[in-house]
Amino acid sequence: MIDDMPVLDVAGISKRFGDLEVLTDISFTVTRGETVCVLGPSGSGKSTLLRCINWLERPDAGQIYLNGDRIGINNGGVVMSDRELSRVRTRIGMVFQHFALWPHLTVLQNLMEAPVQVQKRPAAEVREEAMALLAKVGLSDKSDVFPARLSGGQKQRVGIARALAMKPDVLLFDEPTSALDPELVGEVLLVMRELAREGRTMVIVTHEMGFARDAATRILFLDRGRVVETGPPERFFVNPDTERARQFIQRYAAG
Amino acid sequence: MSAADVLAILQGAVVTVTLSFVGILVGLPIGLGLALLRWADVPVASRIVAVYVSVLRATPLVTLLLLLFFALPNVGIAIGPVSAAILALVMNTSAFNCEVWRAALMNFPKEQYEAAQSVGMHALLRFRRIVLPQIVRVSLPGLVNEMSLLIKVTPVLAVVGVVDITRAAVRIGAETYEPLPPFLVAIAMYAPIVFALVSLQRFIERRQLAAEAA
Ligand SMILES: Nc1ncnc2c1ncn2[C@@H]1O[C@H](COP(=O)(O)OP(=O)(O)OP(=O)(O)O)[C@@H](O)[C@H]1O
Ligand SMILES: [Mg+2]
Repeated sequence: MIDDMPVLDVAGISKRFGDLEVLTDISFTVTRGETVCVLGPSGSGKSTLLRCINWLERPDAGQIYLNGDRIGINNGGVVMSDRELSRVRTRIGMVFQHFALWPHLTVLQNLMEAPVQVQKRPAAEVREEAMALLAKVGLSDKSDVFPARLSGGQKQRVGIARALAMKPDVLLFDEPTSALDPELVGEVLLVMRELAREGRTMVIVTHEMGFARDAATRILFLDRGRVVETGPPERFFVNPDTERARQFIQRYAAG
Repeated sequence: MSAADVLAILQGAVVTVTLSFVGILVGLPIGLGLALLRWADVPVASRIVAVYVSVLRATPLVTLLLLLFFALPNVGIAIGPVSAAILALVMNTSAFNCEVWRAALMNFPKEQYEAAQSVGMHALLRFRRIVLPQIVRVSLPGLVNEMSLLIKVTPVLAVVGVVDITRAAVRIGAETYEPLPPFLVAIAMYAPIVFALVSLQRFIERRQLAAEAA
């Protein structure tokens, strides 16, 4: 059944940096419409895991499938070229901790750049969609402004809209609110909650426990590069299986 | 000093500007190409470029020029004074420009580059659309500075017989036994050339600022 196929299938990913084993045999799947929140202490490998999924970092072992297509290794069994990887990456959106907007382009141009340059779609059509996305994240009036003039929360909402403009199959978020002043976190989480409600497929690394608790369909808890526990947030936060998860929740839920 | 003398210095100015311009025009993209080889850490080429750049930065332009002019014919490559001058300028300026470009590339924010990767831009697109427009702006002051320096070292081209502004002034001074006027004219000619460069830089920067304030 095609509907049973996971959007994202991560199977046995390992990654080391020199002597440091950062990820060990990570496996999980994400089905359509799921919001998976990845939690774990600092240094547990959360960012590295996300970066391995779209091959910004090359995993040492394991396979990753996007809607059944292998990422990073082509049909011939060899590592994908830059062109091949680029084609696959158009289907995986990424939102960065420090926004990573392109400062020499306006907000609208940031959104239109890849759909026009990469997907070669007609500019007029892309513009219309980009304006609709900006309306969705509440930034219609900022379309012609350069990123430098935006607040952190506004920048991140542009970052999300830029990822959405490619109509990706899955969205990856790496601590999208960690670089924000506390009073700006809410506006970004609001947008993300809305995406979750719409049934976008998302993998979100976050330290926002409140968000994870009520927006996630599933929690993936990482510690020292391993998946220590996975399950629905109701269970994870109330009655976790492992002692390590319990300690983690106590520490973060308190602060 | 006669009108013909001023004209002779003016001719020297044309030579200075032409040679500098050609040197810059060719040296600029070569410098960028060399910087890219180092930035991308292309296996063997990157090492060769590193050596090329440090050797050339340590070699005075006069020495390089004399070497090219006198040594190349020895190995069977005929070279005139003007070609030798252009080659020396290009080699010299490409090495210095390489360092300016490279500094801009090294400081380019990694996350921005990865954002371009994550939306599926391939290497050439990432460079052309995201990296280049930004490093040009960052490098501009350094590059213009290099160009001004280049124009000011052109008098050494006289050692192989190229008649530039300064050489023309020296000649006239020697013929008329009045060195002061021709040299004042010479200095008066360098100033607008360098000034034009700096104005160009200001203009580009201002246009950019105006766009960003929008
Ligand atoms: N490029 C790299 N080279 C060497 N070590 C790295 C590299 N990237 C990450 N690491 C190391 O791998 C480990 C996991 O890093 P990672 O950034 O994935 O953790 P994280 O869970 O995202 O942490 P945080 O919550 O602080 O963002 C850390 O010890 C880190 O120092
Ligand atoms: Mg991280």
